[in-house]
Amino acid sequence: MSGRDDRLDEARLQAVWRNRLTRRGFLRGAGLGAAGLSMSAVLAACGGAGGGGTPTEPGAGQDPSEIFSQPDPEQHVVFANWPLYIDKAKDKEGNVYNPSLRKFTKETGITVDYQEIIQSNEEFFAKIQPQLAAGDPTGYDIIVITNGRYMTALINNGWLIPLDPERRPNFDANAASWAKDPVFDPGNRYTMAWQSGITGLAVNHDLVTGEITKLDDMLDESKVPPDSVGAIPGDAPDLVMINLGIDPATSGPEEWREAAAWLQRLRESPTFRKFYDQGYTDDMTAGNLSVTMAWSGDVLYYAQWAGYSNLEFVFPEAGALLWIDNMAIPQGAAHPVSAYTLMDYVYKPEIATMITEGVLYMSPVPATRELILQDAEQAEDQGYKGYANKLRATANSPFLYPDDEFLSRTSFGFSEWTDEAAEEWDAIFNPILYG
Amino acid sequence: MAAAATDQRTLAGPPVRGDRRASARKRLVPYGLLAPGGAWLVAFFLFPLVIMVYTSLTSGGVLSGGFRFTWAWGNYVDALTDNRRYFARSLAYSGIVTAAALLLAYPLAYWIAFRGGRWKSSLLLLVLLPFFVSFIIRTIQWKFILGDVGIVLGPLKDLGLLPEHFHVLATPFAVIAGITYNFIPFTTFPLYVALERIDRSLVEAAMDLYASRAQAFWKVVFPLSLPGVFAAVILTFVPATGDYINADILGNPETTMIGNVIQRKFLLTLDYPEAAALSIVLMVGMVVLASIYARILGTEDEAVAAGVA
Repeated sequence: MSGRDDRLDEARLQAVWRNRLTRRGFLRGAGLGAAGLSMSAVLAACGGAGGGGTPTEPGAGQDPSEIFSQPDPEQHVVFANWPLYIDKAKDKEGNVYNPSLRKFTKETGITVDYQEIIQSNEEFFAKIQPQLAAGDPTGYDIIVITNGRYMTALINNGWLIPLDPERRPNFDANAASWAKDPVFDPGNRYTMAWQSGITGLAVNHDLVTGEITKLDDMLDESKVPPDSVGAIPGDAPDLVMINLGIDPATSGPEEWREAAAWLQRLRESPTFRKFYDQGYTDDMTAGNLSVTMAWSGDVLYYAQWAGYSNLEFVFPEAGALLWIDNMAIPQGAAHPVSAYTLMDYVYKPEIATMITEGVLYMSPVPATRELILQDAEQAEDQGYKGYANKLRATANSPFLYPDDEFLSRTSFGFSEWTDEAAEEWDAIFNPILYG
Repeated sequence: MAAAATDQRTLAGPPVRGDRRASARKRLVPYGLLAPGGAWLVAFFLFPLVIMVYTSLTSGGVLSGGFRFTWAWGNYVDALTDNRRYFARSLAYSGIVTAAALLLAYPLAYWIAFRGGRWKSSLLLLVLLPFFVSFIIRTIQWKFILGDVGIVLGPLKDLGLLPEHFHVLATPFAVIAGITYNFIPFTTFPLYVALERIDRSLVEAAMDLYASRAQAFWKVVFPLSLPGVFAAVILTFVPATGDYINADILGNPETTMIGNVIQRKFLLTLDYPEAAALSIVLMVGMVVLASIYARILGTEDEAVAAGVA
């Protein structure tokens, strides 16, 4: 197919483009840069105070088949996503564009305003929450948010438009088992996975002695040097529970305190260095960390694409945390039908492959694996052997294409979020993680 | 002066309409000149401050739709009881930073003011130069320079001059040094301005009266530079206390400062009421500390000035 040949040229340009941070690594500057936003967030929160209060029934009075039966007055989508989370290429004039989205526009006539503006779930939620609470449009047609307390809040408050299950043929045909019917959104009523990843351990083999296989190894002074262990505060409670043999999904304050006690031990261990609010990747690549909690895509990027052969992503014996960044349509969206069309379009294997080769996280479309291997072959034929090998390593990574046994050892973490649960959780964990 | 004013009044005779309008205008001029700055302060300081106080008295949760104003004074109680050690740590760090910055910046400012000659402006530009790079980038650069196996520690460890697991990052020292580094220009400039203004003939006079160089410095130059020291301390101590960037990038959990707590409550846990309450406590605390300090050093300053005169 000629379309796929085009793509390989673009793919080569992508290889150049790859000199960049990964999407999660980008978080580093985010919290710092966002400081200036806090005041507007506060103002906004106050403005919305009167409007909220009583959560409406999820999707109250909205019939999805009705919403999606009429075409939008304007064929356009405003897509809010995380930075560096889509394929990019440069055209002949040197302008950066997104090949997958350009193809979408060519085939459907729907234009896309793609904005890389989400830098953290908390911050983005804080930004759109006042409008949603007041019933005003947020200005976005698609948002991407990780499963967890903020996504739960969006669903429970009825702030997402329910999706019509009859109108997503590509999703039905191609979505991975883990992307369909996730526990946090049964039947994909409100969300569809964009990309996903695993929180496990990154190991620097230059610094550790012996094998690192479990979280407890982070405390083992015979295996890791002093002041060299890192942790991600947002993911630590769930990951620790999993490794204590607790199922986070059914956990309560009792179990949280158990995990908190383990985290306290970690914090007091001579091996411990710090919690990373912002990206741990700097310290990981600089050789300051021997073992750290890490996101699969970051480690795979550095180990397979950026030449850090000393780094390895380790899936802890007792299991790991699986998270999904989900696409959803916020209430008040001006172009829900166009948005839904795009959300389903990215489930075409060909399109999903373009995205996966650009971001290296878990694709919700398993068929991409075969296509990446085909691309590898084609690249090899054209003489790009190094690139071909990297594509092959990507396609063969169990962390991008996990099998069922592997998935059975992951958990989505605690998901029964209410204000009370959040308060209790924060009271138990924050003094250790942020104190 | 008083006599001249009286003369003017008697000479002016019965006021005419135009004059009165002119004098009214004259009286209004200062207010007119103040208006832009005043409007700025109202819009960007006073109004946010009111919002902040308002927010600090709300309760609720962000997950269920927002916060409502309930006169929740409990936020202040929580803010104070839970965070005492972070306040204490911030004040301690900031105190050390201010002392270190003064010790480093005073000789620097003195040298530029007294020995800089025609290079003064260029030297001041050098002091200012780091400001052309973002605060955060500058701090992250230290991470690069001081990495455990980075360009400084790496070779020293290879040579066996440092133990294998020696590190500077993720220690209180790194945080304090980072803040000091970042705030040194704020310390240097007021010192320079004060030192620059000192009349050199006073130093000569001291020498003529058989003062040694050291005596001339301690009895003449230093007392005259005290207003600069005063300003430098305020300009360094106050922002250093609220800083969180350095603790975040260069520190570890044992270096958490009050600024980190506020930042996390605002941006990570979205606990706006307590974050606002903490901000206000910090601000009021700094104002109180600064005014106590101003009273003490202010009178000393006058006494010294009187002594010199």
